[in-house]
Amino acid sequence: MNTKHSMPSDEELTAFIDGELGPEEAARIEAMVEKDEAVVERLEFLARASLPYKQAFAPLLDAAPRARLVAMLSAIPAARPPRPAAFVSRRGFLGALAASVVAGVAVDRAMIGVGASFSRKDENSEWRAVVAEYISLYTPQTLAGPVPARDVQAAQLASLDGNLGLQLSPEQVALPDIDFKRAQILQYDGKPLAQIAYLDPETGPMALCIVASDGGPKAPDIEGRKGMNVVYWANATHAFMLIGHAPVDRMTEIADAVRSKISV
Amino acid sequence: MIEGYFRMSVAHTTFPAYSRARTESPVRPAILKQPVSAEATIASEADIRSGLAEHLDRLWRYGFVLSHERDVADDLVQATCVRALERVDQFVAGTRLDRWLFSILHSIWLNEIRARRVRQGQGFVDADEALTFDGARDTETHVMANQVLKQVNALPEAQRSAVFLAYVEGLSYREVAAILDVPIGTVMSRLAAARAKLSEAVPAGGFE
Repeated sequence: MNTKHSMPSDEELTAFIDGELGPEEAARIEAMVEKDEAVVERLEFLARASLPYKQAFAPLLDAAPRARLVAMLSAIPAARPPRPAAFVSRRGFLGALAASVVAGVAVDRAMIGVGASFSRKDENSEWRAVVAEYISLYTPQTLAGPVPARDVQAAQLASLDGNLGLQLSPEQVALPDIDFKRAQILQYDGKPLAQIAYLDPETGPMALCIVASDGGPKAPDIEGRKGMNVVYWANATHAFMLIGHAPVDRMTEIADAVRSKISV
Repeated sequence: MIEGYFRMSVAHTTFPAYSRARTESPVRPAILKQPVSAEATIASEADIRSGLAEHLDRLWRYGFVLSHERDVADDLVQATCVRALERVDQFVAGTRLDRWLFSILHSIWLNEIRARRVRQGQGFVDADEALTFDGARDTETHVMANQVLKQVNALPEAQRSAVFLAYVEGLSYREVAAILDVPIGTVMSRLAAARAKLSEAVPAGGFE
């Protein structure tokens, strides 16, 4: 700490101006102000920055798109009851899956109803909401079991080609340190949706999902859905999303690896 | 983007001499990040929802101050609402909801949106062209306001957010530290550095 004769730091003077010093420290600064012109000068210099900040920033409150934000807030669905820890049977799982997909569509329609302008830069987000809904139901147990052999993987991937016009090899969809579990075709809005499911030993279920898209190429972007991170992008013919529980940095890294192997 | 950017020239405004302006006690409960203890009252989702509705404007303004972009501010508020509603059980009733929401927004900005923008190499908006507002811009008030906005906006982000939270939102150092997730000493040095810069920019008698 400073002695009585030394110059207080800018930090101390700032805290003094802001009324953030305790009574003793404040008294010490006051005493220095009494005695030392240099302290007064520095204090006055720093106090010049006591500007009418509240007034200056008040108009930015009026600039907020309040109606849009209120509509957005009311479109966020109420919290769901805790999800079941495990599915008792495959049948039960499929039932839950179907229900969640329906709920997901309803929810996302509501979001879109908020106004196209709210998410105008991303009007094709609906399918990602649906995917996030059902991937959020996956647990590591959902994807338990051995990693399929390469020829099994290749056969599963071949089914994607027929449905989506997408030729992928097991090597192209292999993720670093993450196990391939299965590739399958689902249906979204009457159109095929490819889902390649993985299990990351560290963070749990992960999926690469693909739909046909004529929206044109799109650089990767990232968003949070259902407590998971989603990296999504598109090439001239397909839209992709990688979804999982890994942190943003890792998800981006994995997505970059996928993009480098699947021509864009 | 904000249209009608107005480059100020003259303002006739005087500024109060230094004073110990803050009347709030510096000792206030910090934002709680720990899990709720069994004794604490857990807020209901409806409480959080109505609190969010009340603070949407302020959250948006903070998002805009951080990002300088309306679209990003929109997204930040949306993500904050979603996150807050997901984590209702982490909010301790009796503490300040607005502080909690600010800290959620700040962490989303820092860890998700800002990180992504930096990584993708997208430049930030030119400081001179952001953070001004349109509307009755020919009044003295707006000229003054735009001058202050311009100066704050020219600060590095770490100083800017501290100045905004302490001097615009009127939060204590302790609260600012909790929201920015830094020690109080860091808040003090950011504010001191910001004051030194702002004072350089302001003539001795104020803007005139």
